[in-house]
Amino acid sequence: MQVDGSITIAAPRALVWQRLNDCAVMQACLPGCERAEETEPGCYRVVVAVKLGPIKARFNLVIEITESEAPERLACRTRGEEGSRASQLTAESEVRLQALSEAETEIVYYSEISLVGRLGKFGLGVMRKKADQLAAAFASNLQAQFTDQGVV
Amino acid sequence: MSETVAFTIDLDGRRQIGLAEADATLLSLLRDGLEITGPKRGCNQGVCGACTVMIDGWPQRACLTLAAACEGKSVTTLEGYAEDPVMQRLARAFAEGGAVQCGFCTTGMLISARKLLEEEAKPDPDRIRQALSGNLCRCIGYRKIVEAVTAAAEGAET
Amino acid sequence: MPAFVQRPTRLDEALALKAAQPDSLYLAGGATLVAMKNAGLIEPESLIALDGLQELSGITRLADGSIRIGAMTRHRETAASPLLTGSLAMLRQAAGKIANPPVRNMGTMGGSLANADPGADYPAALVAAEAELELMGPEGERRLPISELFLDWYETALKQDELITGIHLPTPSAAPSHYRKLARVSGDYATASCAMVLTADGGLRVAIGACGPAPLRAPAAEAALCGHLHDPKALAEFSQSLVDLADPIDDVRGSADYRRKLIPRLISASLDRLLQEQPR
Repeated sequence: MQVDGSITIAAPRALVWQRLNDCAVMQACLPGCERAEETEPGCYRVVVAVKLGPIKARFNLVIEITESEAPERLACRTRGEEGSRASQLTAESEVRLQALSEAETEIVYYSEISLVGRLGKFGLGVMRKKADQLAAAFASNLQAQFTDQGVV
Repeated sequence: MSETVAFTIDLDGRRQIGLAEADATLLSLLRDGLEITGPKRGCNQGVCGACTVMIDGWPQRACLTLAAACEGKSVTTLEGYAEDPVMQRLARAFAEGGAVQCGFCTTGMLISARKLLEEEAKPDPDRIRQALSGNLCRCIGYRKIVEAVTAAAEGAET
Repeated sequence: MPAFVQRPTRLDEALALKAAQPDSLYLAGGATLVAMKNAGLIEPESLIALDGLQELSGITRLADGSIRIGAMTRHRETAASPLLTGSLAMLRQAAGKIANPPVRNMGTMGGSLANADPGADYPAALVAAEAELELMGPEGERRLPISELFLDWYETALKQDELITGIHLPTPSAAPSHYRKLARVSGDYATASCAMVLTADGGLRVAIGACGPAPLRAPAAEAALCGHLHDPKALAEFSQSLVDLADPIDDVRGSADYRRKLIPRLISASLDRLLQEQPR
């Protein structure tokens, strides 16, 4: 499943880049993120809970930054599974930051996600809608990081 | 959920007690607890129809019915129709008309067809197809199946 | 340890059982819930079966002529109800197009609505019929217009432990109505669907199903179309207003673009059918 899109953040690119690489900020912005820790430089362990109707899932993910070109491009590989349950998730993602102006940055993301096991049986059409919603929630959370702290 | 429970159901005209896990489906109770093998385990999702049994007089999915929800209800499987003349006619028509290939869908087909003949003595082919639309035959033997139900209905006169 | 399946016979008993077990679920007909459990998608600690609650069964005409459908009414019964005529015939037609006979012997209207599957058949028909839901929860009974039930994909406005007890429909009129469903094969979920009723003032009410998390309806566009049903341009504008509201998914049943293209076609085919049926 491909998930792609873009979000615009009212903050300068260098600052957005810095926050995107801050584990605590990511934990605060990622919807359903219960825990996030940097286990070694460029490697994160993240726990994310998602819900779709009566279906609840909690993923233990390992995110590894594979390419990093500050302040404009980031690629990462995500692997993980759902606790003791039988769903496995892998994803290859790329994030690009474009300065729209001194004060505005566009984040363009592309992810190729593969989900197998019990959740793979569920319709991917709705999963993609859910992914879009999570991206929108992430964007508004990230924006709030700048607005609330009076950075912009 | 590994706890095993004794379920009491009215099965094929007799009160019977079978053991199954507390959250077992009727299909598990029938096949694994009571060794009633007429209902087949196909998709376990309610799609294929191989597990179709009669519950309180209506064809329903044994795989989508919880065993615990059947206490106090009457369940009839193909085994319960052993002495039923209409079912005997249907079974003969299926066998003689080549309506059985691998046989996996057959018991579910027979339950749905039995209900149809109770509602309508001489259904036309369209009506038969509608009544059997919840029973999939992956050998694609539908034509012979529809013909067999027609033959069984016509055989009622003689 | 409480039994895995509990079968209360009174509504207050059902609510108390549900409230006492945080990870329990209400069990209606089971046609979807047990399938999800079999697939490992849900793991409830227990199920509160609703089939023992008398007040949730049957279709009745109330003193004022309106219709109440108990939430546990099976699709089979709805599909055959002599009370659902004229402006409500589309609901009977929708029930008859759900899955197949054995599943229609199990599934219930309340269960289908609480599950809120966008491809299900009742939502569009009930939105076009302007149904109202009768709900019961820990805080008591309330009514909710059907148009306010579907909040998001598989998310409803039902509160914690609240359940649907009945579906109320306005008194049926002689105005013809029609439910049209496009599906890959008979009995599949809808790729797209359309519920339509002609109104006495020369207009129509339309709800489109399976093209978003909730059925699509455009009251302002309906008002603009009133009296212009035979004007192709007005009809095209009306259809476009519903296409603009659509937020369909891409899945095995059809792409989002395909679903958008189906909307005007379903509308014109349904309207042709109803204009033929209309008493002159």
